[in-house]
Amino acid sequence: MRLRWLRLLAPLAAVLAFAFVLTSCGDSDDESEGTGATGSTGIPEEFAAPTAAPDDAKAGGDLVILNEGDIDYMDPGAAYYQVTYMLDFALFRSLVSWAPDATTDPTPDLATGEPEVSEDGKTITYTIHDDVKYAPPLQDQTVTTADIKYAIERSLLPGVANGYTSTYLSGVTGMDEAIKAAEKNTTEAPDISGIETPDDTTIVFNLDDTSSAGVLGALSLPVSAPVPEDYAKKYDAEEPSTYGEYAVFTGPYMVVNDCVDDETGEVTDENCSGKITGYQPGKEIKLVRNPSWDADTDFRPAYVDTITFQEGFADPTSASKKILDGSSQVTGDFPPSPTVVKEVASGGQYDPSQMIVTPSGGTRYIALNTSEAPFDDVNIRKAVIANSDRVALRNTRGGELFGPVMNHFIPPLIPGFEEAGGLEPPEGLDFLASETGDPDLAAEYMKKAGFKSGKCEGSACDITMVGDDAPPGRDTATVFQDQLEQLGFNVQFQPVEHSLMYTKFCSIPSQEPDVCPNVGWIKDFNDPQAFFDIPLYGPAINPSNNSNWPMLDDPQLNKAIEEAKLIEDPEERAQEYGELDKQAMALAPFVPWVWDNDIMVRSEDVNQVTNLFNGLTDVSFTSIK
Amino acid sequence: MARYIVRRVLWGVALLVIVTAVVFILFYVLPTADPAKLRAGRTANPQLINDIREQLHLDDPIYVQFWDYLKNVFLHFDFGQSYLSQASVKDIIFDRLPATALLVVGAVILWLGIAIPVGIISAVKRRSLLDRTTMVTSLAFISAPVFWLGLVALYLFANDVGLIPLFPGQGSYLTADSFLAKCGSMLLPWMVLAAATAAIYARYLRSSMIDTMAEDYIRTARAKGLPERQVIMKHGVRAAITPIVTLLGLDIGLLLAGNAILTETVFNIPGIGQQIVLSIRRSDLPMIQGIVLFGAFFIVIFNLIVDILYAFLDPRVRYQ
Repeated sequence: MRLRWLRLLAPLAAVLAFAFVLTSCGDSDDESEGTGATGSTGIPEEFAAPTAAPDDAKAGGDLVILNEGDIDYMDPGAAYYQVTYMLDFALFRSLVSWAPDATTDPTPDLATGEPEVSEDGKTITYTIHDDVKYAPPLQDQTVTTADIKYAIERSLLPGVANGYTSTYLSGVTGMDEAIKAAEKNTTEAPDISGIETPDDTTIVFNLDDTSSAGVLGALSLPVSAPVPEDYAKKYDAEEPSTYGEYAVFTGPYMVVNDCVDDETGEVTDENCSGKITGYQPGKEIKLVRNPSWDADTDFRPAYVDTITFQEGFADPTSASKKILDGSSQVTGDFPPSPTVVKEVASGGQYDPSQMIVTPSGGTRYIALNTSEAPFDDVNIRKAVIANSDRVALRNTRGGELFGPVMNHFIPPLIPGFEEAGGLEPPEGLDFLASETGDPDLAAEYMKKAGFKSGKCEGSACDITMVGDDAPPGRDTATVFQDQLEQLGFNVQFQPVEHSLMYTKFCSIPSQEPDVCPNVGWIKDFNDPQAFFDIPLYGPAINPSNNSNWPMLDDPQLNKAIEEAKLIEDPEERAQEYGELDKQAMALAPFVPWVWDNDIMVRSEDVNQVTNLFNGLTDVSFTSIK
Repeated sequence: MARYIVRRVLWGVALLVIVTAVVFILFYVLPTADPAKLRAGRTANPQLINDIREQLHLDDPIYVQFWDYLKNVFLHFDFGQSYLSQASVKDIIFDRLPATALLVVGAVILWLGIAIPVGIISAVKRRSLLDRTTMVTSLAFISAPVFWLGLVALYLFANDVGLIPLFPGQGSYLTADSFLAKCGSMLLPWMVLAAATAAIYARYLRSSMIDTMAEDYIRTARAKGLPERQVIMKHGVRAAITPIVTLLGLDIGLLLAGNAILTETVFNIPGIGQQIVLSIRRSDLPMIQGIVLFGAFFIVIFNLIVDILYAFLDPRVRYQ
């Protein structure tokens, strides 16, 4: 009898003990620790990003960057992803680029200095170095301005499919004609008549309007990395272009190809084709020193000998610990998990300086479809924003260190941020005053919208929401769903895969749900124009690839956006965009909840330098101790 | 036997065509992200998206796309190009196949090496302490999800983040530059992948052995005075192992087809399983098609091998 009871009690006791352990573990506090926000970025000082190499930085060593995913394209004309830029800034020299600490003015790269801009602002002239050579197989060829012109022209081809040339360079004379020509002949780069190259070292951009700021910004991206036409046109004639498999490099580093040794970068085959062998999609990218690179013409020091971009690290916790415990490694495209962030921030096993936090220039918000009921009523939108606990939304991503609560559109470090209010909401917008939600104020706005009880009632409150099906996006959507339901809405939430969320729902106006909870916008370059040209501009709404998710089409705002981009004076421009930000937020098109930070960790022996342009490691300035 | 093999091969080809058709239909019927839009980027205009769609032949009727694909595959062994990297699908698969193959072969050797002796001993010494211990342990390993086992193994034994640093950890395959180094990087993945499978096989073999050892011919063998070892190994195991052979063929085929997704993901092994995850996330149809076809091919081949092996293992089985 006693034995029979023991047979029952023993496993029961084991289960109870296990349950006890399970509930005792885990942390109910989702907030990452920080010692308090400092400065205009909200980032504690101990995690501030180093933007210069130390004085005793030494050359040599092999840097390893761990990533979850891959770059988007090796072709600089097609690349449109900040993580790709992390490598591109080291592989390709553009007309202008970004030194690690540059946040407003790009750094001359191929250009010998600042551009000459005519008095009317419609002509921009650059002079480039006359002695920059390509990496093997074109080691005997010098970069010319014709190569830069060709690089921009080929980006219009559907086989290259650059995502921003036609937007930001739309003011260049002849751009419309060139776009039409590329649609007719998809295998030959069209001529953009407004780009002139009177000699090998001079390039002139003629504009139809004074949108030079956008042009200058776009020229700081890899699209202006030179591409020699004679070498590339046979690859561009294929559909899609295969130039990415044979790209030629001009930066301090190159991706290993069939011309060079995969450890030293020394030329091993004079009769090579230039086929890239060091890029294995989804696995690894191997960079070695470019034997043609001349440090005297470049602002980059290029300390390390090789850079290996390893991919496939799906678990951020174990990958982050591998970096923290290991050597010569940094994170690439993933932030450490909240657990690791907390562990490093607390200063126990790891030195807090092994973690670096930088504003990414990105925003996350919840789009409310302003084109249809119920969110076509601005009072209802204001009620939803007032009711939102945006700290709780931010916590779904890991807490304070993952970014300050967003209170307007322009993020930190972008001109116009301070003018719009800095970390605080714009004055006079009471529905943004509370970061944790103000249900009473929300009720007031609902009453103004005609709901006497202060909550949504009736069939108008049945709304649809399509969001991510995986954490943390799904967590954010679920928290917001709960907040909406507190306000009386009946939310039908459909979780789908992330890219499907965009391409089949949120970016198709005819399919768009009432709420898209997992959208956001990141800068293309450090100018506020990059934030207003598309996401809140009415004419930018397009039927099949829409990024104006709130479907906002306010004539006054549209006019203000068109006028602001023509302002040339930097101070006046920042002031105007600050006012534009306030004007946009007064329309309450979305629930702003976080200005994203990039969080990276490094091994102890890495002198990591962050490039403030993209908030990621600047591999050309990083060194090994 | 030859006619049987030819017939099976022809059915295998027909199956591959059917599988291709099903994947095509699923891709177009079920909601997937639009590869043309993904390629065009966030600010692209509709004209650019249409141009890309035309370039990738996504605007052709589905039956035209399907027919072109079949011709390329069966006549030219060309599986197309990845929408993402424009690299040849065939090249990517063959580039990743060695990693998956090494993972599978090592795990198979390990799990058979564990499961067969454990299954035999458990069956022969039924209800002993050894039998109970092994069966409870096997239940634990069957219940534990592979990704959890993998993460626990990393946190306990990986030489970079583990409490007891013994084995190469996550991502070590990427940096291994010799065959031995690659095998070293596979030690933990082999153990993790083998753990649950060995447990299943041990239980199957035990059950099969128990049934077999109760057969009349086993009693006859004993009655004839054969040593017990010979009775068990030559008469018992030989008959009892046929269901294991069936399972093995299926498992090898499935693992080579990408079923080791979780192990490859946890340990960052650049194999077929990892690639199929990447491809599904980015709606890279040519890649998905290619991997599914290869997977189906392996399953067909290994099932055929298993059926042929049957004829040698079990004299009662004869094919016509």
